[in-house]
Amino acid sequence: MEHGKHVFRIVILVAVILAVVLLARGFLVPRTYGLYGRYRGANVAQQMDARPVLYAGAAACADCHSDEATKRAAGAHKNVNCEVCHAPLGAHILADGSVVKPPVDRSFTLCARCHRKVAARPAGFPQVDLEQHVNGPVEGKVCLECHDPHSPKP
Amino acid sequence: MPEITGFAFPNDIHVTWSLMIVMYPYITGFVAGSFIVTSLYHLFDRQEFKPVARLAMATSFAFLLVASLPLQLHLGQPQRGPFVIVTPNFTSAMAGFGILYSFYMLVLVLELWFVWRQEIIERARRSRGTKRAFYAALALGTYDTSPEAIEIDHKAIKILAGICLPAACMLHGYVGFIFGAIKANPWWSTPLMPVIFLLSAAVSGIALLILLYQVHAKLERRPVVASCVQALASWLWFFLILTITLEELELIVMAYEKSESWLIISELLTTRLSFSYVTMQMIVGGLIPLILLAVVVLMNRYLHEKVRNTLATVAAFLTLIQVFSMRWNIVIGGQLLSKSLRGLRSPYEPEIFGREGVLVAIALFVAPFVILWVFDRVLGIEEPEGGPAANPPAAPPGAAPAGSHVP
Repeated sequence: MEHGKHVFRIVILVAVILAVVLLARGFLVPRTYGLYGRYRGANVAQQMDARPVLYAGAAACADCHSDEATKRAAGAHKNVNCEVCHAPLGAHILADGSVVKPPVDRSFTLCARCHRKVAARPAGFPQVDLEQHVNGPVEGKVCLECHDPHSPKP
Repeated sequence: MPEITGFAFPNDIHVTWSLMIVMYPYITGFVAGSFIVTSLYHLFDRQEFKPVARLAMATSFAFLLVASLPLQLHLGQPQRGPFVIVTPNFTSAMAGFGILYSFYMLVLVLELWFVWRQEIIERARRSRGTKRAFYAALALGTYDTSPEAIEIDHKAIKILAGICLPAACMLHGYVGFIFGAIKANPWWSTPLMPVIFLLSAAVSGIALLILLYQVHAKLERRPVVASCVQALASWLWFFLILTITLEELELIVMAYEKSESWLIISELLTTRLSFSYVTMQMIVGGLIPLILLAVVVLMNRYLHEKVRNTLATVAAFLTLIQVFSMRWNIVIGGQLLSKSLRGLRSPYEPEIFGREGVLVAIALFVAPFVILWVFDRVLGIEEPEGGPAANPPAAPPGAAPAGSHVP
């Protein structure tokens, strides 16, 4: 096609533009994009690294405190993690490896969070009517004076 | 203080899609509308549109260049403009904008190039130095204006117009889809939305061309061709009838169904939107131009040319207001409904000076006309008398490669 030279040239130009767009796309889309979903996959690891690990789980506590761990595993609180009351492991063993006494939450509020009588809770779950517990109201009293949190009995 | 009426959810009292989101469908509408006019000539051989065919195509291009700016101004993140084209997220409805916009831009620029190719070559031959290098680059270095090459151009224009017309319709129909697909909002969620948007785009495009044609003819000191104004007015009347009928039918269906959302929509239309919907969209921008255009179309042979031009121009101006009001009532009106569907959010008043303010909106509307002016200076919108190839100036030595010739 002698007279179609200009058409040939514009087609080449369009092909070059498309190639540039595809090339730009190759640079602009991060490598790990779409690994887990519509975001940059590598960002997950970056976000995890940016935050110090605080909680370690009951198994980590059992490494040193096997007596308490055994007692807890046999009792009604077997599904309550140690770190709920004893603060995260990160507050007990610091980043430099030194061991400090962790703050322990012995408050009435913590126990009441699960055991306050609420109509919506399952009937079989141990619940305390705070106005009529043993000898009248118990609001604000320390539960641990009578109950052992590692192996609680009703 | 927020002015809520009825029952609205807390923290859900503000309009967040601003005036810029009103400008987005308004400007995109001109892209599709003008292209419909140019394809009536290039694709369907309606000779009465010949005087505005090139103007319409240039207008479509000028508005297309500005079409994504309102979105970028709203987001405040200009780099997202190219990103939506190069790295679309296919789970987002906005991916459609990137694909349709870039595809339409590509095909329209190709068609523009084929339509203006002879003009570019003529200018390359006439000019010297940097200017010549610029036009030579635009002509891609080939100066072939032989009848065979021009025949190929005509075929290419026809094929590209055949691709461009559905692309333009898709581009604007998609803008309607963006709103129509939001099912939580009863004022938006209707399959009619893309159709209404598309028809009102045709209305705004034709109306703008009636105005532009008059202005352009005055500036170029050319006579206004009566048959062209008459044809534009007829098509404007036709599309305006369709648009207003569909807009009203949608309302009538909602009112007749008396669905639960109608309670709040009827309140919205009679309180917050009473001026912009009833007065502007329906009466000033709808009923009055309908009557004026009916006079132009039905009483054509009794009308003096000046009267016809004036009536068509006034009707065109009012329809531009109708389309703007329609965009406003959809975008802002839809956000005035609380998600409770039992109350209305605070009325929206656009800021004047801000990034999404009235002045920026005016600048956005003016920008395409500046682009058109530059386009006219660089390539010339009007076809030279008798066509560019009919009166070839003497080519400077070495300008045309061996083998090409001017008929």
